[in-house]
Formats: sequence, structure tokens, C-alpha cells
Amino acid sequence: MPGLVLAAGPAPGGPGGTGRGAGKDAGKDDGADAAAAWERAGAAGIAALPEGETRAVLDATALTPEEAVAFATGAVLGARRAGLRLDLLHPAPDAVLPLWHAAWAVAQGVALARGLVAAPANVLTPKAFGQRLKALERHGIAVHLLGRKRLRQAGFGGLLAVGQGSANPPRLAVLRWAGRIAAPPVVFVGKGITFDTGGISLKPAAGMEHMRADMAGAAACAGAMLALALRDSPAPAAAVLALAENAIGAAAYRPGDVVATLSGRTVEVIDTDAEGRLVLADALNYAVRAFRPEAVVDLATLTGAAITALGHHRAALFGNDPPLGAMLCAAGEAVGERLWPMPIGEAHRDDLRSDIADLRQCAPGGGQPDACHAAAFLREFLGDTPPAWAHVDMAGQARRPPGEPEGASGFGVRLLDRLVALRFEDPHRR
Amino acid sequence: MPDILFVKAALPRAGALVLPLAEGFTLSGLAQEADAACGGAVARGLEAAGFKGRKGQSCTLWAPGGHLSRIVAVGLGGRPDAESARQAGGTALPLIASEPEATIAAEGLNAELTAALAFGARLRGYRFDKYRTREKPEDKPKLVRLSLASAEPAAAKAAFQPLSAVADGVSLTRDLVSEPPNVLYPEEMAERCRALEKLGVTVEILGPKELGRLGFGALLGVSMGSAREPRMVVMQWKGAAAEAQPVAFIGKGVTFDTGGISIKPAGGMEDMKYDMAGAGTVIGLMAALAGRKAKVNAVGLVGLVENMPSGTAQRPGDVVRSYSGQTIEVINTDAEGRLVLADVLWYARERFRPRFMVDLATLTGAIVVALGHEHAGMFSNDDALAQQLSAAGTATGEAVWRMPLGEAYDKLIKSDIADMKNVGGRPGGSISAAQFLQRFIDTREGHVAWAHLDIAGTAWATKDSALTPKGATAFGVRLLDRLVADHYEG
Repeated sequence: MPGLVLAAGPAPGGPGGTGRGAGKDAGKDDGADAAAAWERAGAAGIAALPEGETRAVLDATALTPEEAVAFATGAVLGARRAGLRLDLLHPAPDAVLPLWHAAWAVAQGVALARGLVAAPANVLTPKAFGQRLKALERHGIAVHLLGRKRLRQAGFGGLLAVGQGSANPPRLAVLRWAGRIAAPPVVFVGKGITFDTGGISLKPAAGMEHMRADMAGAAACAGAMLALALRDSPAPAAAVLALAENAIGAAAYRPGDVVATLSGRTVEVIDTDAEGRLVLADALNYAVRAFRPEAVVDLATLTGAAITALGHHRAALFGNDPPLGAMLCAAGEAVGERLWPMPIGEAHRDDLRSDIADLRQCAPGGGQPDACHAAAFLREFLGDTPPAWAHVDMAGQARRPPGEPEGASGFGVRLLDRLVALRFEDPHRR
Repeated sequence: MPDILFVKAALPRAGALVLPLAEGFTLSGLAQEADAACGGAVARGLEAAGFKGRKGQSCTLWAPGGHLSRIVAVGLGGRPDAESARQAGGTALPLIASEPEATIAAEGLNAELTAALAFGARLRGYRFDKYRTREKPEDKPKLVRLSLASAEPAAAKAAFQPLSAVADGVSLTRDLVSEPPNVLYPEEMAERCRALEKLGVTVEILGPKELGRLGFGALLGVSMGSAREPRMVVMQWKGAAAEAQPVAFIGKGVTFDTGGISIKPAGGMEDMKYDMAGAGTVIGLMAALAGRKAKVNAVGLVGLVENMPSGTAQRPGDVVRSYSGQTIEVINTDAEGRLVLADVLWYARERFRPRFMVDLATLTGAIVVALGHEHAGMFSNDDALAQQLSAAGTATGEAVWRMPLGEAYDKLIKSDIADMKNVGGRPGGSISAAQFLQRFIDTREGHVAWAHLDIAGTAWATKDSALTPKGATAFGVRLLDRLVADHYEG
């Protein structure tokens, strides 16, 4: 991520690109709010920079401080290269600076998430993921890691089953940001499958390399925690990240296995490639029990069905609490990480009835609608008095959309950060 | 179907007695009389069976005494309403179908709920058995007379009249959808629309010559691989003032869809006989509106083709010119429904200037992946219409779930050679299909309220439910009839 320098005055002449030209259409965007348009303009300006450019000036002299920050945010998030220095020109840097501080914090969170998603699976094992999270402690985030032994003692049957085929054992990472408001935290729960072969229900070879991004939900949760910490959010928050590798091997779990989850519910495994919901089941249940949270939001690259349903432009939103869902949708629209509400129907739950266990993990034979089934499954693990819960299936959003250059999107960081800003930072709410 | 009668409450002397009971019930009226006539067997039996009156619950007491062959209790749920009464009527029907005569004890319910009970039974009693030539008599339903014992039989009968017309429409749709594709091809399906003339519907049938003259290039392209000629049928019901703007319903009617040159896999291809369910629904809906003399001007348009692979079939790569003038690159000949609809939608809009347009189509497999079989996918350019449809869906149990439209999805159907291509890829496949249709709705001439219902997951049921025996559901007839009744009459 490039550095950004704020400067007062008109743009200097001489070498270096300028982001101004690209912004000329920003105000004309069809109904979207102006900030989002300026953000896109910033990204477009940076994308137009020649390869190898080391310095660029963002001429925001004609913009309001809010627009200038959006412009700079777009440029910084769009840059995706090291060694680039950006100068933001604005007549009132003092007005821009505090706004930029918060935007910068969020950009750091996005960068963390992208870095994690981009890391190859031989480098980013569950253990290595945990170690990288440990590094967040210097920002005031408490990080607690549970290894295989502790998970076994506590009864994380779902997470352990998924991880048992791999030479890299699973971890549960618990991150806490205390904030300043005396209230139960909002908890983010992330799917962190560092690589997903599908297990015994092996995936086809083509495109399997992208399965290193199957931890993008967990990465987004971690990134959001970093953003909250760096901008010193008053809201208490926590993240529970289920980290495992779904490998194929002699010790791997099988279709037909019955697994006792942390909640006590038994689950019949139908397809070992529907592993995300198993690790999330334990992580959600842990989150509810450990934090008694006001709200739980889980993020996961969960189903191909979500991509078939909504493509790459919107992630699927499920949940049990319409106000929380509406707030997430609003947050998504505001930051350009858009969601669409999807249903959990009675029939979807009925499809999960098992002959041998409390429920089965998915409908047999690739039964659809799998994204709805997955959501109906997760809902079962929220405990006896479920908190407000939302589930974001972001299978189509972990990587940048088709037509854009390859790369991790960092999707979810800004969504969660904005959700917290919109709903959880007012100490007098309710 | 049995005759449905509304009679004064009296304990029947034979046959089956149905007791619709709400949660927390005490036996009263006919139920109490029956209990007394059977020496308390009803109360004891229901108690022993754990019958609580919950929605969907039922309990059969065999030979309870009092000359009755059976007593069937069905649950009305906590708070009986039209929906739970319909469900109870539907739940009861298979349990009494082997009796020649049955009576539903509805004397404790108002006329509306009594009619709803009869409606539910009527919907569930549908059967498509014309091709079963060796069915044993004992396997056939025997019910010839279903009586509803009512405190106000005349009022209940009056309330049932419009519902009966809607049920006729549902049955017509189910017949059309159930027919095999060698029997029901475009010409035959168009001829069957003529049956609506006796209800007062004007029926126009356009053949390949007329369609060619109009310039229906998209529809004709789909049809050209088949030996069967295409048709478009325009049905008009004038139940309101002549000058009142009509509402318009448009249906996809691919009487069989092989996929064409982009041929489908063999497994399950037999299901493709119901790829005309959108058109079948529009025809049944027009019958329902005309049958109950709805105070609305309504037009129904169906595009009827067969999609076959052959030496004369359309190819991937072909570019066709639609009736609107827009050109379409055919990438996949199995995305044919939208090609048919494109021309019919444009024609409907141009000719009728409707208040709104709703199209129905078994359009994409992607909608089944997205939503399954509980909801149809709804796409709309108009929030008010979308809300009305959602509400009608909740009221009728034919549920719709709104899906997104937007610029980003529209980009998926950009073509290098034509104005658009006919597929946008699997991700968001239902949405890009809807975007395609929208290009034939919104024009420079302005906005028309439009909704597209993708009924690929709801047109056919693989198992029985309270109101629908497995097979053709006629999803959409009751939904759209309700939409009209609630917002567009008078």
C-alpha cells in the first residue's frame, strides 16, 4: 500500500501523474452517492498511472474534505503496489487530516485482509495465520489462540473433523478489542480454510489454486478488527476465526461420518467439501457462549450457489434479525461492498433432516439451494437464545471481480467497519 | 372432481365427516353431535392420537359409529384464516377421496373460511389421469359429492363462486403443463386457448406468416429447428370500461425444450415438457379472471415454440433481429426463453400500453440454485408493483423473493457483434436473464412497471403438498389473480 502525504496548495508541475482527470465524471454517477463516485475516480486515476511510477499527486483542491478523503481512499486502495508515494493536495489539510486518519485505519485493515488472502497456502497454514494475528497485539487487540489439544478438550468436533486430514492442524483464533463502551461486543465470525481441496469429496483440478482464498472471511474479520483498533473505535468487538486446512489424506474425515459439534448437536457429514459450515458451526457456537454478544456477523466464502445466485457484484445476506440485516445492507451500499438479502425457508431446514444425526450438513446429491441450506444449518448453532445474527456468503467476492486485474479484494473489512460505525458506536443507543 | 355443495348443518347419515378444528378446540356443533352419536369416540380418538389442531395436522378415525365410515379431523392452526382454511381443505381431501360422499363440518366458520375450505379441497383434488388406461377402480378416487355444512350456505356458496373460477383456471393450467410434448405443441396449445372464448375472452392466434411479417426475429429463430410451427396468442378480457388501460401478462411457452444445438444432457430432459408453464399459467389466469368476471381489462400474451436441434435449427453465433429492432447474438441456443419473451414483451407494450406487465417463465436453472422450490424469483423495475406481488404471494402461499437488477449485471450481456448476447454466464445467471428482458421493457418512450417471475423452481412439484398434488403446480395463477383483485379492480 502506498504512503500518502497531505499537502496544501496547487499541484506542482514536473513529472508524476495526477489523479484529477479521472475524476471528471465522478459527480455524474447514476444516483450512487458522491463519495463512492470520488472513490472510484481515485482508483481509476491510479490505475491509469504508468508502470514503475513512484510518485503521484492527487489534486483534490476543488473537493470538500470528505470528497478529498474518498478520492484518496480510492487511490490508496486501488494502488496495490509498494514504493509509490501519493501527495494529496487540498487547500485545508487540517480539515482533511482527522477524516483521513479514520480512512487510513480502514485501508490498513483492508491491506491486512488482502495480504492474508494473497498468501499461498503452503506459507499461510492455520498456525502461520495464527502467528500473523498475534502480531495485532501491538495495536491493542488481545489475541488468543487455541490449538488442537485445547480444541479437543473443549469439544470443537466440527473444526477438528475438517482439520484432521491435514498435516497442518487447525486453530481457533479469538481477537478482542475492548473499546470504551460498557456493552457486550459485536462479534465477527470468520471462515478460515487456508486451503480447500474439498477433502475426500475432492474438487476438480481446474481452478483449485484459487482455494487458497477460502479463508477470506476470516481475513476480513481480522482486517476489520485492525481497522477498529487503529481508528480507536469506542465499540467493543471480538472476532472468532476458525482456521483449518481441508486436505485429503489417510486421516481425513469422510462422507457419512457423524460429528459431535461444540454445541452438542450431532451432524451427519454428506459432502466433505461443505466444510465451511462445520467449522463455522463451532465458531458461532463458541462466539455466542463466550461473549453473549449483542450481534454476531459471520463472513464466509461458503457456497458456489451464492455465486450462481448473485454473481460477483453482490454477496448473499442471510440472518434472523431484519434491523441488523438492513444496517449491513446500508453499510455495504455506503462502502461499495454490496449485499442482497436471501431467504431461509422452512423447506430449507427440512432438507437438512438426517436419519442418523441431529441434522445433516447439506442436502445429498448436490441438492440446491445450497446457500440457503448452509444458512439454515448455521442458524442451528446460535444457542437457545440466539443473538441477532447475520451471515454473509461472500464466495463470489473474495477475489476481484472478473474483468479487473487478478487479486484479493479485501471484501468485508469496510463492510464490518462501517456496520460498527453505523450501529455500535453510540453509547446511548436503544 | 366431485360436486361441491353448500348445505345446512346436519349430521350426515353415511360417508365421511371432516372436522376442521383450531388449536385449543372444544368439540361443538356437528363435531359434538358426531361425538355423541359415536359414544364419545371422537373426543377419545383425537385425544389418543395427540391431535391438537395444528396447521397441517390430521387424524383419521375409522368406523367410529353412527353410520359414518370415517371421521377426519384437520388442523386450522392457532388463528384460522383463509390460508389455514385452504390448507385444511387440501389436507383433508386425500383422506376422504376413497369415500363416495363426504361432509365438511364448517358450520362454526364464516362464509369466507367455508369457501376457502372448499377451495383448498378443490385444488388438492386435481388429477391428471387421461393417459392411465389400466388403473384399477380401487385406485381411483371415488368422491362424487363433497358437502360443506354451513350456518349460512347461500353466503358460502356465493363466496365460493369466484374461487371456483380461479380453481378452474388452476386446473386448466395444470392440464396444459401436464400434457406430453407430442400432444401439446404450439399449434395445439394455441387451439386450446380458444376454449376461453366461451368465457368472453377474445382470442387471436398469430402464425409464422404474421409473426414473420411483424418481424419477430428472436422468436422465429428459436422455432426454426422444429417441424412444429410457432404461434403467438393474444387473449383479451374486458371487464372494465373500454378505455381503461389494461394490465398485461406474458408467458414463455416452449412446449418442449431440447436446448437446440446447445443440447441438454439426457438425464431429466423429460421435465422440459413443462418449459411452457409460464404460458400455461397466463392462459389459466385469463380463464380465472374471465371466469370470475373480474372488473379489469387484462391481456394475456403467450409465445409458443418448440426448441429442437436439426438441420434448420438456430446455431450458437447466429445474430437475430428482434421485433424491437435490437439485435441479439445467440451464444447458447438453450437460453431460448428470453428470445421468445423479448418479442412478445415488446409487442405487448407497444400494442397495449399496459398499466403494468408481468411475465412468467421457467427461465433459468440458476434460480433453482439460488432459491430452491419455495419461492419464485421476482425481478422488477418498480418497487410498488414488487411490494404488491410480495404481499399477494404471502396471502396466497405462492411466495416470491425479490432479486436484484443493476448496471453491473447488465454489462454481463454485452456482445462484441450485436446489441446484446443471450447469456451472461453462470454467475448471477438469473439476474443477467432478467437484465436481458428489461432491455425490452424500458425504452426511450418511458417507464412501464414490470415484473419478471422466474418460476423454474416452482412450476413443478416432485412431491404432494397441501394444495397441490405432485406435478404441475400452476404457480402464479392464484398469485396474479390476487394481485389483480387487491389492486387493479374498480
